[in-house]
Amino acid sequence: MLVALAWRNLWRRPQRTILSLLSIALVSTLLVCVVSFQTAVYGVMKETTLRIFTGYAQLQPLGYADDPGLERTIARPEDLAREATMIDGVTAAAPRVNGFAILANGERSYGAAVVGVDPASEAQISSIGSMIREGRYLAPGDSDAAILGDILARNLGVTVGSKVTVLGSGRDGSVSADVLRVVGIYHSGIPELDRSILEMPLARAQETFAMSGFANTIALGGATLEGVNNAMPALQELARKQGVIVRDWGSMEPAMRDGITLKIATSMMFFLTLVVVVAFIILNTLLMSVLERTREFGMLLAVGMQPHMIGRMVWIELVGLALVGCGAGLAIGGGITLWLQHQGVLIPGMADLLSQFGLPPRLYPALSPLSALIGPGAIFVAILIGGIVPYLRVARLTPALAMRGA
Amino acid sequence: MSSIIQCRGVEKIYRQGDVEVPALRGIDLDIQAGDFATLSGPSGSGKTTLLSLIGGLDRPTGGEISIDGEPISGMPKARLADLRLHKIGFVFQTYSLIPVLSALENVEFILRLLKVPPAERGPRAREVLRQVGLEGLEDRRPSRLSGGQQQRVAVARALASRPAIVLADEPTANLDSQNAEELIALMAELNATSGITFLIATHDSRVIAHTRRHIEMTDGRITADERRGADIAA
Ligand SMILES: Nc1ncnc2c1ncn2[C@@H]1O[C@H](COP(=O)(O)OP(=O)(O)OP(=O)(O)O)[C@@H](O)[C@H]1O
Ligand SMILES: [Mg+2]
Repeated sequence: MLVALAWRNLWRRPQRTILSLLSIALVSTLLVCVVSFQTAVYGVMKETTLRIFTGYAQLQPLGYADDPGLERTIARPEDLAREATMIDGVTAAAPRVNGFAILANGERSYGAAVVGVDPASEAQISSIGSMIREGRYLAPGDSDAAILGDILARNLGVTVGSKVTVLGSGRDGSVSADVLRVVGIYHSGIPELDRSILEMPLARAQETFAMSGFANTIALGGATLEGVNNAMPALQELARKQGVIVRDWGSMEPAMRDGITLKIATSMMFFLTLVVVVAFIILNTLLMSVLERTREFGMLLAVGMQPHMIGRMVWIELVGLALVGCGAGLAIGGGITLWLQHQGVLIPGMADLLSQFGLPPRLYPALSPLSALIGPGAIFVAILIGGIVPYLRVARLTPALAMRGA
Repeated sequence: MSSIIQCRGVEKIYRQGDVEVPALRGIDLDIQAGDFATLSGPSGSGKTTLLSLIGGLDRPTGGEISIDGEPISGMPKARLADLRLHKIGFVFQTYSLIPVLSALENVEFILRLLKVPPAERGPRAREVLRQVGLEGLEDRRPSRLSGGQQQRVAVARALASRPAIVLADEPTANLDSQNAEELIALMAELNATSGITFLIATHDSRVIAHTRRHIEMTDGRITADERRGADIAA
């Protein structure tokens, strides 16, 4: 009975109700679209950045995070890598030797990280292979080959075909020296990488740095970052058994993690403001309609309706309004997002920046239950909580005063 | 006959900021079951105030009111609402109906509050609407009824709960004389046939002419209380 009455009451002033619905629906729509887009962009940003070199997660020796050194090693890394890829969500595992050496070409010499990689498994994790500007990436069967970043190459004055001398110290403290031939030069767009990393075949690196049978880290990859994150408990279990640790993306890239958290927090503040503003507009409107009906409520009280029932009727009006508005916003916003998910979004002026990260110029929002529901849900809850005000106002009415319209 | 409404030393003082407005200054009144009484007096004499106290819409500042032998001044709001629902019907000058409901629904609404089973509501509501002469207009909303018809719906609604008392505050004030006559004749007939007690605040001499008991108020006091007609045995 109350529901039918509340519904008819809403349509007593159709313009007002439609305006209220529109404002709820509009903001809900906006929130669905923006949140879906934002989470998708952050997701793509994270994945793309991690895919360049770091990987979605890494297995590392104990203590390696605080003090990475050649002497901290993982024994029989191929076996551990194979076991890791058997975990759901993990599709690739690439053992690496992370040495440090002075690179020299004639007079010029620079310090750089020398990373021994297995070209086949590395290609599944790192996108450096697709960022080669000149020459080619490492290939299985390569022996004295090396690739390096374009800044490093420029600094050393090397080009494809040049020889580079590697001078460092091995795991056992002995001097390691090697001469490699540059087969490719990459440009990742990230200066720290382009300036400081040389990659060489894993087997040769193990030989050079006295690391035979060992690796320093195993980088992990998967179809999605989320898949790898979900595999964390299983990876931790594996790591514990093997006496190593597993680090997730956030612990390896804390700056990126904090940056994204901060951005999400700032946009949440903004969204929250929007939600509060909408809730206020709706409550104000409802309070107005309650005040207008003071005499009518007095009459309802006079004929014997309980005050709390009138309060509930007003509450139902509010819930109905919020439900229809948020529902419409969810539908419209979801529709737009799904369409954009299909079409992609072109952000003017971003294409250059995006392509540097190996990103396509179009970004695709991703509608998920969370990204769809969080905005409309917050509006709904805010309106319901705020609805206590008109509810109390109505429940407090004295019938005689209400009859006189006071 | 027993008193269905009993007022003893009833006082009401309204407070408006620092100013105290005494609206009722000691009302002693007994209304017998089955009575048909009018209440009149100059504007501001306290008629509306007295009716709202009797109906439990407001609380007296002093004295006691009993309905059917039950003192009401200490009753919680919810009990008062229940008392009104079951024992008292109201007819006001205006704003009597729920605008978004049809005549039939307005009457059914009370029956729903009374938790009358759904199957009974429709027939019972139609029956009272027929009693007040509104057959055929059941599905109209108040905005599409004349003032007289609206007041009839209000009377029908007041009757639907089969109350012991109907309190009416200037029910004919907004009606032309023919509609006023018809409304008052209707109330008199209902009083005669179903024994419902009526207490009607009014200035309208046509209404007063119909009644067996006429109470005059001035300045918050009862100044005259005359009984007329054949059946004033009590
Ligand atoms: N809510 C209120 N606050 C303050 N004073 C009030 C209030 N309601 C009524 N009064 C005062 O109480 C007195 C009695 O008012 P009441 O409405 O009962 O008179 P009435 O006899 O019904 O008058 P009328 O014939 O004009 O309807 C008046 O002086 C009025 O101004
Ligand atoms: Mg009055």
